[in-house]
Amino acid sequence: MDMEELTPTIEELKRVLEGKADEDTIVRELDTYINVYRSTLEAAKRGIVRKYGGEELEFVSGDGVKKKVERIEGNEQNVDLTVKVLHAEKREITARGEPKTILTGIIGDDTGTIPFTSWETDRFNLEKGGTYNIRSAYAKTWNDRPQINLGKRTEVEADASEIEVPQRVISYSAKEVKLSELMDGMGNVNVTAKVLSVGPKDITVRGEPKTIFTGTLADESGKVEFSSWGEFPHEEGEALRIENAYVRAFRGIPQLNLGERVSITRVDDDIGELEDLESSTPRSIGELEEVGGGLDVLVRGTIVDIRNGSGLIRRCPECRRSVLNDECITHGRVEAQQDLRIKAVIDDGGGALTCIVNRELSEALSGISMGEAQRMTEEHHDPDVVAKEMERRLLARAAEMRGNVVSDEYGMMMIAQDAKVVDVDVRADAKRLLDELEAML
Amino acid sequence: MMRREPAWRLFSAELNSSSMTYKGEEEKSPSYLITPLGAKVNRVLAAGVLTDKENVGSEDEPMWRARVNDPSGSFYVNAGRYQPEASAALADLEPPKLVAVVGKVRTFSPDDGRVFVSIRPESIVEVDEAAREAWVLEACRSTMERMRALRLALAADGGTAEDLVKQGVPRQLASGMTMALDYYGVPDSGRYIRVLQEAFRFLLPDDDVDLGLTEDVSAIAEKEERSEVDVDAEDSIMELIDELDSDGKGAPISNLIDEAQNKGISEVEFEEISNSLMDKGLIYEPVLGKLKRI
Repeated sequence: MDMEELTPTIEELKRVLEGKADEDTIVRELDTYINVYRSTLEAAKRGIVRKYGGEELEFVSGDGVKKKVERIEGNEQNVDLTVKVLHAEKREITARGEPKTILTGIIGDDTGTIPFTSWETDRFNLEKGGTYNIRSAYAKTWNDRPQINLGKRTEVEADASEIEVPQRVISYSAKEVKLSELMDGMGNVNVTAKVLSVGPKDITVRGEPKTIFTGTLADESGKVEFSSWGEFPHEEGEALRIENAYVRAFRGIPQLNLGERVSITRVDDDIGELEDLESSTPRSIGELEEVGGGLDVLVRGTIVDIRNGSGLIRRCPECRRSVLNDECITHGRVEAQQDLRIKAVIDDGGGALTCIVNRELSEALSGISMGEAQRMTEEHHDPDVVAKEMERRLLARAAEMRGNVVSDEYGMMMIAQDAKVVDVDVRADAKRLLDELEAML
Repeated sequence: MMRREPAWRLFSAELNSSSMTYKGEEEKSPSYLITPLGAKVNRVLAAGVLTDKENVGSEDEPMWRARVNDPSGSFYVNAGRYQPEASAALADLEPPKLVAVVGKVRTFSPDDGRVFVSIRPESIVEVDEAAREAWVLEACRSTMERMRALRLALAADGGTAEDLVKQGVPRQLASGMTMALDYYGVPDSGRYIRVLQEAFRFLLPDDDVDLGLTEDVSAIAEKEERSEVDVDAEDSIMELIDELDSDGKGAPISNLIDEAQNKGISEVEFEEISNSLMDKGLIYEPVLGKLKRI
């Protein structure tokens, strides 16, 4: 390897060795490792640092490459980190048909924070606030953002050192955020929003009864459910500035928590009339993907797929799950009941999500009633005839859907509260767009 | 979380000019076609006229090749045994028909370095004029969004995808845009403005849409040179098709080639001209070996 190509490595080694070896020595050593012994670059760096007694901070220990959080790119197969756990919670998921408990959360060091998932919950005991040496983790990207995964090969041990995670990084946002931007794991968030509804709720916390306040907040960007763990002397219709709240998601839907450190002040800020806030404006599906879901969301797009499981289906009378051949996974042989539904994929060009549309809305959306669906199926002796007809009528149609958007490992899903095909006024929209284009040129 | 790839709305002119493919490093990560305007495309939604179709497979194992025409050119659609629903739909659709296609983009490159882009359909359905126009409108909107992002990227000169995201550009477009600029360089925006002009003329036929293109001289020269020859030759071929279409089922291509040669148009030229006429949606191939005016 040409020594010129090694300039960045030489600089790196000079920095790490802090004068313990001069440049000539480093160049000579690298030349020997790489050009004489043809070792890999990582191994050469490790060897030289060991030999001259540098801190192994940035480098390899065991087989992995030691990295700071900020430098994780998302394609590391084997990486070592020393991190503090900022947030961790267990989740039940289904992996390859088997129920499984995983641990997800956020870890960080003095350079930044990164989400993580531990797939071996039994082996690692990662606790919030603790510092750990993680060896042989791997990184992946989701939505172009890196994440750390702890898998079979990973080793974790507690570390006594205290890591200072920079404040600006823990609190994703010390600034004001819109409700549509709230995202799982955020701390120290400030919002200005109107109370759409609120009420007391009795719960049990660690065996003790406690009354909390829950409800819904809205601003012009969207809505969010909130829980206040302390007093909440405010009513429906009041505009509030809420500082230092935090966000946890439930099935992908971000929820705002008002904890001990929250400060709430009444403001005159005119956020909008309650009625306007009640009716939602369409959200970008791509942005929904970034935050994982949302409460009472309106999306607008084109129906690009009518998925399997649409049309006339049969459900277990006990659990309402759809069944094949009148055989329920939980309840065995059952007297299944017929139902009609549509699983439509709606796509706005920047993202896509599956909408589950119930019988009533399906009938209106497709113009096929339950009775007609039954007749069609009998007439054609084809269980798929209804779904095919739905596809013929709905595919490539513009539609609007409203409902809660949740997410799991299979992607985002909306339980539709409202679903309709929309007519596009092409001429009017085209004129408006043409004006925009002329202004651009 | 598994993310479903969105269906990009873009004109065939942009899709067909693409030659850069990208695949993430993770296992199972999807592959993308990066267009010169920075779209990072795995799936597309296209709509237009199904102008012609041909079964290049067998009766038992059909392999359909079809073309779907938009205001800027044609999408190439290929469906075989692994697209049973789309194949069945194509078998039933007799061109010309208005259709919408949802599918994955595929590229094919022969050894000479050229790259052909086609769509492998997941579904293909007949649509009405309103749905087709709504698609053209969305394709305009989407093309304009990319031109806006391109402008931001050029203004930031050397900025990263993350910088574009901070300025409100959707993440996938921001990532595609930086790759596109690296690979293709700065695109000829005049070309895409012309595509938009055609599309708006299609949507607003009574409005005399004129974007006052300050076309650069070379583009005008090239266009005129080409169009002079082409328009004359195309007119002759259109006339021939009308003349030789004795039974209303189309003019036999072999007769057309003979007659064209009498007018000084070689077989190769004839092939080019008839392809161009098909691309423009003026003629189609009702049955193999015959051409007919739409």
